[in-house]
Amino acid sequence: MSIAFIETLRSRMPRGSFPFSKALLGTYILIAFAAPIIAPQNPYDLLQIRGWEASAAPGTLGGDGYIYWLGTDGLGRDIVSTILYGLRISLLVSIISTAVAAVVGVTAGVVAAYFGGWVDALVMRIVDLQLSLPTILVALIAIVTLGPGIDRIILAIIVVQWATYARVTRAVALSEIGKSYLDAVRLLRLPKRRILLRHVMPNSIAPALTLIPIELGHAIALEATLSFLGLGVPIDKPSLGSTVAAGFQYLMTGQYWISLFPGLALLGLIAAINFVGEDTRSKLDPRSKSL
Amino acid sequence: MLSIVTRRVSQALLLLLVMSLIGFVGIHSVGNPVFNVVNVETATVEDIRNATIALGLDQPLWRQYFLFMENVVTGDFGTSYVYHLPAFKLLLSKLPATLELAVIAMALAAPGGVLLGLWAGRHQGGAADRAILRGSVLALSIPSFWLSMMLILAGALLTGWFPSGGRGATLSVAGQEWSVLTGDGLRHVFLPALALALPNVALIARLARAGTIEVERQDFIRFCRAKGLSSRRILFRHTLPNISIPLVTIIGMQFGGMLAFAVVVETIFAWPGIGKLLIDSIQLLDRPVVMATLTFISVAFIALNAVVDLLYAVLDPRVRLST
Repeated sequence: MSIAFIETLRSRMPRGSFPFSKALLGTYILIAFAAPIIAPQNPYDLLQIRGWEASAAPGTLGGDGYIYWLGTDGLGRDIVSTILYGLRISLLVSIISTAVAAVVGVTAGVVAAYFGGWVDALVMRIVDLQLSLPTILVALIAIVTLGPGIDRIILAIIVVQWATYARVTRAVALSEIGKSYLDAVRLLRLPKRRILLRHVMPNSIAPALTLIPIELGHAIALEATLSFLGLGVPIDKPSLGSTVAAGFQYLMTGQYWISLFPGLALLGLIAAINFVGEDTRSKLDPRSKSL
Repeated sequence: MLSIVTRRVSQALLLLLVMSLIGFVGIHSVGNPVFNVVNVETATVEDIRNATIALGLDQPLWRQYFLFMENVVTGDFGTSYVYHLPAFKLLLSKLPATLELAVIAMALAAPGGVLLGLWAGRHQGGAADRAILRGSVLALSIPSFWLSMMLILAGALLTGWFPSGGRGATLSVAGQEWSVLTGDGLRHVFLPALALALPNVALIARLARAGTIEVERQDFIRFCRAKGLSSRRILFRHTLPNISIPLVTIIGMQFGGMLAFAVVVETIFAWPGIGKLLIDSIQLLDRPVVMATLTFISVAFIALNAVVDLLYAVLDPRVRLST
C-alpha cells in the first residue's frame, strides 16, 4: 500500500527539479523578509554583540544560554544571524540591479530596433564589446571607474547586465517592427513614445523576461565576488559574499565555520535560482529541451 | 573571412579607446593618488606639491590623458606609484604565473568537459546524463571564491596534501620563472587550477552534450552505424570533429575568461599573477598598474577571440570554402 501511495504522490508531483528548487527559493525569500523577527541577534547592533565570545565553534553555549548553532565570527557575531541579515543585503542588491538592468536593456533594445541607423549601430557596438568581454572584467572596469560602495556596486551590475537584455530584445523588436499591425499603428500617427511603450515593447518583452532568473543568479554571484574582493558592500553591513570574505583570515587557523556556512547559504541560493531559471527557460523554449 | 576578423578587431579597439577615456576620467575622480605616494602625516605642503608635479598630476586632465595614450602606444603605462617600476614591465613579470595557471586549468577542464559531455549526450535521458546535467548547474552556481576557500580547507588544511598558497619552487627558463617545471611548483598549482577549471568543465560539458545529441541524430552518423563502425570510433572520429567548432569557441573564450577570473583565484591562493596584481593595485590606487592590467586583459581577450575566429577556417572546411 505504501509503495502505491508513494507512486501516486510521485505522479502528482511536477517533473524535474522544479518543485524542490522553487520551494528552496521561496524559503530563502521568506527568511530574508522575516530576518529581523527570526534572527537570534541583530548583527548591526553593537550592543548585542559579545566580543568575548568571538570565534566560538558551532554548538557553543553562549553566556545567556543561547546556543551558537553555527558558531560566531571573529567579532563575536552569531553566524546564523549574519547569514539571515547578509541574505537581505545580497537579495536587495541583486534584485534592484537585475530589475533596473532589465528595464534599461529592454528600452535600449527597443529603441535601437525602432530607430535603426546610427542609434542602432552605436547601441549594438557597445553591446557587442561588452558581451565579448568576461563579466568580471566589465564589472572590475566599472568599479574602478565608479569607486566602491553599495550604490556603485548596483550600478556596476547594471552596467554588466543591461547588454544581454538589449541584444535579445532588439532581435525580437526588429521582427515585430516588420509586422503589419505596426504599420497600422504608425498610420494612426500615434506619438513615437506611445508606439514604443504600448505596442513594440509589450510584444518584444517575453524573451527578456525569461532571462531574469538566470541574470538574477549572476547578479548575486557577481555582488558576492566583488564584495569578496573588497570592492563591494561595506563590511559594517555585510552581504553573504563579504561575510565569507571576512572568514577567510580565520580559515587558515582552522575556524572554518565563519566562511563555510555563509558560503553554503550563498551556494544554495544561487543554485535554487539557477535550477528554477533552467526550468522556466526549457518550459518556454521547446528547443532548449534537448540542451 | 580575414576582413571580418580585421573589422571586428578594429571596432573593438576603437571601443576600447573610448572606454579607456571613460576609465581614465573615472579613476581620476575616485581619489587623489598623491596621498599614496607621500606620507600623509609627515608630508609638508611643499612635499605634496613636488610629488604632484613629479607624477604629472598638476597638468589638466585632457593633457594627462593624451600623454597617457601617447605612452600606451609605445607600451609605456607609466611608473607604478607603489613598486616604483614601469607598470608594463611589472605586469609582464607577473604574466608567466597567470599563464601557467590558466593553461593547466584548461588542460584539466577541456578534456574532462568534452568527455563528460560526449558521455552524457550519447546516453541522453539516462541516469548519468541527468547527473551530469544537474551537476553542471550546481558547479556553475558555486561562487569561485568560496570554491577556492573550500579547496584550501579540504585539500590543504584538513588533509595536508597540497600547499594552501603561493607558487612554490620555480625554474628559470627563457628569463622567466616557471612553477610547472618543478614538482613542488606543480603541487602548488594544482588547487588553484582546479578552482579555475571546475566551472569550465561544467560549461564545456553542457555544450559538448548539446552538440553530441544534435549530431548523433543526423544521417551520416546513421550511415556510420549501418557501415558497422564501432560506437567508440563514431563518437571520436565522426561526432567529435563535427561539434569541434562551438567547443573551440568556448575553450578560446573561457581561456580569456580565466585570465580575468584569475583575479579571484589568485587573490585567495596568494598566486603572484596579474589578477592579484590588479586587485592589490585597485586597493592601493596604483593608477598606472590598474590601467596597464585592465588594458592588457581586454586586448588579450579581443586578440584571443580573433584567433578563435581564424581557427574556424582551419577546423571547418565549409567556412574555408565559403570565402
